[in-house]
Amino acid sequence: MEHPRRLFALIGPPSVYLTLFFLLPLGIMAVFSFRAGTIGEARNVFTLEHYRQFIANAAYHRLLWRSSLMAFGIASISTLLAYPLAYFLTFQAGERKLTLMTLIIIPTWTSYLLRVFAWKLILGTNGLLNTLLLSLGIIDQASPILLYSRTAVMVTLVYVWVPFVALPIFAALERIDRSLLEAAADLGCKPWEAFLRVTLPLSAPGVIAGFFFCLIPTLGEYVTPLLVGGGQGAMYGNLIQDQFVRALNWSMGSVMSLAMLLAVIVLLVIFSRMGSFSKLLEL
Amino acid sequence: MSLKRSAWVCIAWLAVFSLVLAACAPSAQPTAEPPTALPEQPTAPPEQPTAPPQSAGAQRLVMLDWAGYEIPEFWGKFKKNHPQVQVDFSFLTESAEVFSKLQSGFEADLVHPCSNFWKILVDNNMVQPIDTSKLKNWPNVNPSLAKQGEFNGQQYWVPWDWGYESVLVRKDLVEKVPESWADIWDPQYKGHIAINDSGEAAHVWASLALGLDPWDQTPEQYEQVRQKLLELAPSVLAYWTGQTDLDQMLASGDAWLGVGAWNASYVSLLNENYDVVYIDPKEGRTGYLCGFGIPSTSKNVDLALEMIDAYLAPDAQAYLANEYGYGIANQAALSLVKPDIVKLLSLDDQDMLARTIFYKYITDEQRQLWANTWSEVKTSR
Repeated sequence: MEHPRRLFALIGPPSVYLTLFFLLPLGIMAVFSFRAGTIGEARNVFTLEHYRQFIANAAYHRLLWRSSLMAFGIASISTLLAYPLAYFLTFQAGERKLTLMTLIIIPTWTSYLLRVFAWKLILGTNGLLNTLLLSLGIIDQASPILLYSRTAVMVTLVYVWVPFVALPIFAALERIDRSLLEAAADLGCKPWEAFLRVTLPLSAPGVIAGFFFCLIPTLGEYVTPLLVGGGQGAMYGNLIQDQFVRALNWSMGSVMSLAMLLAVIVLLVIFSRMGSFSKLLEL
Repeated sequence: MSLKRSAWVCIAWLAVFSLVLAACAPSAQPTAEPPTALPEQPTAPPEQPTAPPQSAGAQRLVMLDWAGYEIPEFWGKFKKNHPQVQVDFSFLTESAEVFSKLQSGFEADLVHPCSNFWKILVDNNMVQPIDTSKLKNWPNVNPSLAKQGEFNGQQYWVPWDWGYESVLVRKDLVEKVPESWADIWDPQYKGHIAINDSGEAAHVWASLALGLDPWDQTPEQYEQVRQKLLELAPSVLAYWTGQTDLDQMLASGDAWLGVGAWNASYVSLLNENYDVVYIDPKEGRTGYLCGFGIPSTSKNVDLALEMIDAYLAPDAQAYLANEYGYGIANQAALSLVKPDIVKLLSLDDQDMLARTIFYKYITDEQRQLWANTWSEVKTSR
């Protein structure tokens, strides 16, 4: 009887936490999504009307699709940039590994808002980039076109996420048994072959974890599009906020949140089916 | 359970959990509603809602108010008269929160929403009529503002602060300063317009530009407004959500027109010596008005009335105008306001006030319709 008790002690607190602060609110949100209205008597009437409206509204679908593509792009670019970083730290940095690691993480100690705001100073009309291009004579008039766009949202979010994507990849690379690489070399593998056939597959779980760490929060991103996205940067998360706070339409906000949940689950399923990722996880 | 499966379950949990965090985050975001006070203002930390051991006679007054209005400069008189009363502040980021908090059972003694939410709170019996004879400062309250707080022949709201919304223009950057709301659609401003991220406000401005009554429209007229807003979308540089947000965009020169800018933005950019002009649009400036009401559930009505009176005191009202640049309700306080502030904001100009179009009550349907159109506009690019 010792074993189950210990197990319970281990999984008890997180389960209670998840139930209280995740499952329960999710259930409440699901109930909200069926309510006819947010105010007065309409709260006690249950309907599928908001689901119908959501399905009929092409603007929502377009934005959910666009936000998914952006999140996918941001996660992919972050992973591509983070991998060499983590690789360098693991195999090349030697004794300076810890120092360099700390250097990567230090910026994340400052406020998230501050880091996003810094990009406004870099990309703005009188920002660093415009000033540089002007002085080099590449452009003849400063303009804020770099800021207030989807590109700005992507640049900023990639910057924010690279360190977080690098961490799980770094951890995965660290765990690789170096003797495997020696064996590969002994058996005649060229370095790039050893990388493709040993290092990359063994670090895949870290890559996947990093990718999803970035993808999922980015899909619901709210603050960054607001600050640097300007007239074209609005993402799906901003629309959900509008429904809850501005329109006082909690039902529609809930339907939209649930739709995003569904989108993430679909993405996960597609990925788990694609290629040999899931097989790699068994390693 | 295989390792493979548990790993995926793990990822799935992480996914779902972060999603919920993401979904929950927006509600905590401070968003723009005119009366959010200047963030740069020195603000005292709110009184801690810790309950000290209280004697039998001790009382507690709960305020649901905007951040920045909790400093003692605004209610010093009350503090002096009732040092034993513990005053707790809970902060608003949207007028809508007054409704949702009271609906969910929050017990406040005073609430401070803006006028577009006054009727809905009265209609749902969430606030009680106010006995104005108990307010010493009531006779000096501007009658045209007081009138807006009257419903069914009874005074439910005591006006306290108001302000304009207009277009704040970087005069040095534009060729021609716009003269009306309709001028915003002029292509010369394309790509340099920062507009308040509010579907309700945008609807009102587009309606005014078209010469329509914003609050009473046929479906055909509404369609015209919708098209007009969609037409504006390509010209928009950004949708601003707070005063600092707008000030910064105008200061950097990214934006030339700050559409829907408040008095406080004008004051703050002038103080930093920017060449700005706050226009007086042909159709009239829009205006918001906020004020105090007493929830039906309050058990401290007399204390609440005294608190309102303290907020209405001339020196408290003058402080609001001098430091924050907002309009005030107590006319007796005008003599204490710096002359340049009075002139700058036409605070004593009854004609300007009469031409200002104050926000009206909107129905649930209007709110949702306008918000949906606004979402459509914001995502049309």
